[in-house]
Amino acid sequence: MKEFDYIVVGSGCAGLSASLELAVNNRKVLLIEQHNIPGGCATSFVRGRFEFDPSLHELCGVGSAEDPGFVRKMFAKYGVDIEWCEATDCFRVISTYSDGEPMDVTMPSGKEAFIDKMEYYVPGSRASVTKFFALMQNIQDGLDYISGDKIDPREIIKKYVPMVRSGGYTTSVVFDALGLPQRAQDILSVYWTYLGVDMEKLSFLHYASMVNTYVTKSAYYPAHTSHEISVKMTERLRQLGGTVMMGCRAEKFLFEGDKCVGVQTNLGAFRAKYGVLANINPDIVHGKMVPQHLVPRREKKIAAARDRKLGGRMFTAYFGLNKTAEELGIKDYSIFLVGTSDSVKEYDSLKHIATNNYAIMLCYNIHNEAFSPKGTCVVSFTTMFTSAEDFNELDEKEYFKLKTKMAKRFMDLLREKAGIDLSDAVEEITVASPYTFARYLNAPEGGVYGFETTQWDGIIPRTIEMTMGLDYKLKHLYTIGTNGVRGDGYSSAYTDGQILADRALAQFEKEDA
Amino acid sequence: MALEFKVRSLGGDLKRFVGLITDREHAIKKAPEKDVDPVFAINENAKLLHPDYQKMVIQDIIEHKGADSKTFVFKKADGSKAAYFRAGQYVSVLLKIGSSLVTRPYSICSSPAEALEGIVKITVRNVKDGYAAPYMLENFKVGDEVCISGPEGTFYYEPLRDAGHVIALAGGSGITPFLSMANAIREGTEDFCLTILFGSRTEENILFKKELDEIASQCSKVKVVHVLSDEKKDGCETGFINADLIRKYAPEGGYSIFMCGPEAMYRFAQKEIEKLQIEPRFVRRELLGVTKNVASLPDYPAECAGKTYTVKVVIGEQEQVIDGKAEETILTAIERAGIPAPARCRSGECGWCRSKLVSGTVYIPAENDTGRRYVDKERGYIHPCASFPTSDVVIEVPGSYMQ
Ligand SMILES: Cc1cc2nc3c(=O)[nH]c(=O)nc-3n(C[C@H](O)[C@H](O)[C@H](O)COP(=O)(O)OP(=O)(O)OC[C@H]3O[C@@H](n4cnc5c(N)ncnc54)[C@H](O)[C@@H]3O)c2cc1C
Ligand code: FES
Repeated sequence: MKEFDYIVVGSGCAGLSASLELAVNNRKVLLIEQHNIPGGCATSFVRGRFEFDPSLHELCGVGSAEDPGFVRKMFAKYGVDIEWCEATDCFRVISTYSDGEPMDVTMPSGKEAFIDKMEYYVPGSRASVTKFFALMQNIQDGLDYISGDKIDPREIIKKYVPMVRSGGYTTSVVFDALGLPQRAQDILSVYWTYLGVDMEKLSFLHYASMVNTYVTKSAYYPAHTSHEISVKMTERLRQLGGTVMMGCRAEKFLFEGDKCVGVQTNLGAFRAKYGVLANINPDIVHGKMVPQHLVPRREKKIAAARDRKLGGRMFTAYFGLNKTAEELGIKDYSIFLVGTSDSVKEYDSLKHIATNNYAIMLCYNIHNEAFSPKGTCVVSFTTMFTSAEDFNELDEKEYFKLKTKMAKRFMDLLREKAGIDLSDAVEEITVASPYTFARYLNAPEGGVYGFETTQWDGIIPRTIEMTMGLDYKLKHLYTIGTNGVRGDGYSSAYTDGQILADRALAQFEKEDA
Repeated sequence: MALEFKVRSLGGDLKRFVGLITDREHAIKKAPEKDVDPVFAINENAKLLHPDYQKMVIQDIIEHKGADSKTFVFKKADGSKAAYFRAGQYVSVLLKIGSSLVTRPYSICSSPAEALEGIVKITVRNVKDGYAAPYMLENFKVGDEVCISGPEGTFYYEPLRDAGHVIALAGGSGITPFLSMANAIREGTEDFCLTILFGSRTEENILFKKELDEIASQCSKVKVVHVLSDEKKDGCETGFINADLIRKYAPEGGYSIFMCGPEAMYRFAQKEIEKLQIEPRFVRRELLGVTKNVASLPDYPAECAGKTYTVKVVIGEQEQVIDGKAEETILTAIERAGIPAPARCRSGECGWCRSKLVSGTVYIPAENDTGRRYVDKERGYIHPCASFPTSDVVIEVPGSYMQ
């Protein structure tokens, strides 16, 4: 049996960053992936003359070359060079304010510009929105601090009191405490679907850690789909002496005593000298991939407390169009087509097929004309389901009809709300349902956001739990990914992989010595 | 000025913050300690739609005398449903022939509703100097176990793109996806008008004549026009399927063209379709495979023809050095050596065989290089089913789940 220092199972965002973190620390890494391409969500597929990105809207935390964000810094550390495109606007949202008036606003990237534009839409909002940004920055710095190795409580009291004072509350409570005018709150609530829980359940710290980076560092995406990132990361891993195996599916984790020592796969068994990082949902790992008598008590109880409640289940449609964005009248990179800015009501309506009238439209050619062949453009739509109910029973005969129905609904929403009609330009169309994501990612219910990050299971409690020590976990086996300390999203998963790899380096090898 | 923020009193806010930790501990503490359940209904359903493979048993074999073909009726070995599919999709059939391990794509000719009864039918036409087709025709017998893939491919009716009326151009065994579509329309699974222009040599050669004529007589949305190249017959058109014939049967207003048939028909029909000046998005072609005569392509490096190279195949930890003939694809070389390798379309399109070219060079026919991703082209990832070695090569191939 071949031995490596570490084995990383699954090449999602977290698996990729974890592998690279270990490799730049000169460890011998084996990365295995069940598919023939790396990336998990971060991938692409080809239809006709179009290449589509199935998941990435915007990557948080890239920042410009001059003012790099944590993702750009991480990639620089790993020696991974991506051709980035900047999304200069944060978003356009077409919805209704909670006072019933129609909303159609476009918010720019950059803190100052964002505050100015908010003042334009909501006169009198400047002071509170400025404070909102200051608070988010404090939180972001504080989060980085408490995710580090050494934490001094005095330092927290000196610098991060605002984080502490806002940290225990949900986003809607903090919005009120900041005195944000209702219309500003309505506009700011748009991002909730990126985190999968409504504003009354969503921890403000979680919200802030994402929104601050999006606005201040602007959002980026790779010029050639997120497959570009995943391929370049695996290539770099090979250069650093790592081994990558595709079409290699982990079936079981191997143990000696209570210590994880390797992985059984369809291509044979592999040994890990120090440990294994699994980019797999913990319920799958603890439910069927390890000897049951070893599953820690606390993991069982965490699973029971989560009670299998997952964040968003995606439903998406991808269109290759035989006209340019300009010809179709598309000017925005992203448009949120939202029924109501009341996230609690919206969350409810996203439970069922009958009431889900939500879509985020993206046009990948807006900042990147060459994304598809000359004279064409690519548009995708995304909605999510906040309940599994309508999908637990599969009626095959209705399945493809459902795909068509949802794709048509997306097109109708865009036409009705933004006056943009795609129907005469469709050259390729592919629709992905929660089943598609479940099948491809092995993620429970195709829930790409992992378990709901509600108050007790938000990113701060998860981070604090980690800081207090991971001794309760299986020995020499960590799960990484969207269920980790940073929650969902590409940048969160990259960060989680990196943090957990560092923990493994500190923990697994110490135990060994 | 330092940022001031509060919700309640300092004590109240602090309590909430500490509450984050205590809430978590509390939630975990009060949760029951029970085994973790890894089974989720959506994931189980997803496996029904997208199985790694399907174990089938040959339930029946139907001979088509004049057409040198047989229809194999597969039934799911464990009696369960077969994966539901879109009429027009194909399955990949796994075959162990001597020491070789090969796959071949075949359009499903049965209807989606039959899949729910566990039935999948394919029709295999004999191929002169062929390999897998003659093998199946000679050796498959009722009761044999056969491993097939889940449904694959994008050659199906898409209501948000395609016109309400489809003119199908079929040649020989290229009728199979259209038979499935016609069945699907009749049973109500699909809803569009289908006019099939079906080219055969003589009336005796027509595949599925009885079935097709029966569907057409029962279902007003399906029409079948037999086009005979070698014989004049009442009620049939004579000659080849050309622009005039398409115009003759085309409906008023717009229509889509779907094409499936042998290479010669594609090349002929291609020019005819151009004359019709329809928007390219209304013309769909089923995949054709890779040319059998690569050396005849104008940009093929002539100096390579006839040579044999070494191909080092790396799968996981295993390495094997095998021969690779210049005029055979790398996938063929791998299959000849009996090494299991993932593949589906064998046309360069679907990406199932995507592999890393570690060293060496390959020739990829332009017409088969439509499925590779942008960055894959840049970084030396190839589709071995459409790549011919032009030097000794080292290639990393993904593991396969179909065995
Ligand atoms: C439609 C959609 C839109 C999104 N939009 C955005 C966006 O705009 N911005 C953003 O930041 N995030 C977005 N996300 C979310 C983001 O993609 C995910 O949260 C993130 O990629 C999760 O990364 P991960 O590492 O946890 O896991 P995954 O991407 O789930 O990767 C897990 C990997 O492990 C492999 N694997 C699983 N089991 C095994 C096994 N037994 N053996 C071997 N391999 C295995 C899988 O094949 C997969 O490659 C979106 C997601 C979707 C689907
Ligand atoms: S098998 Fe489809 S691209 Fe090779």
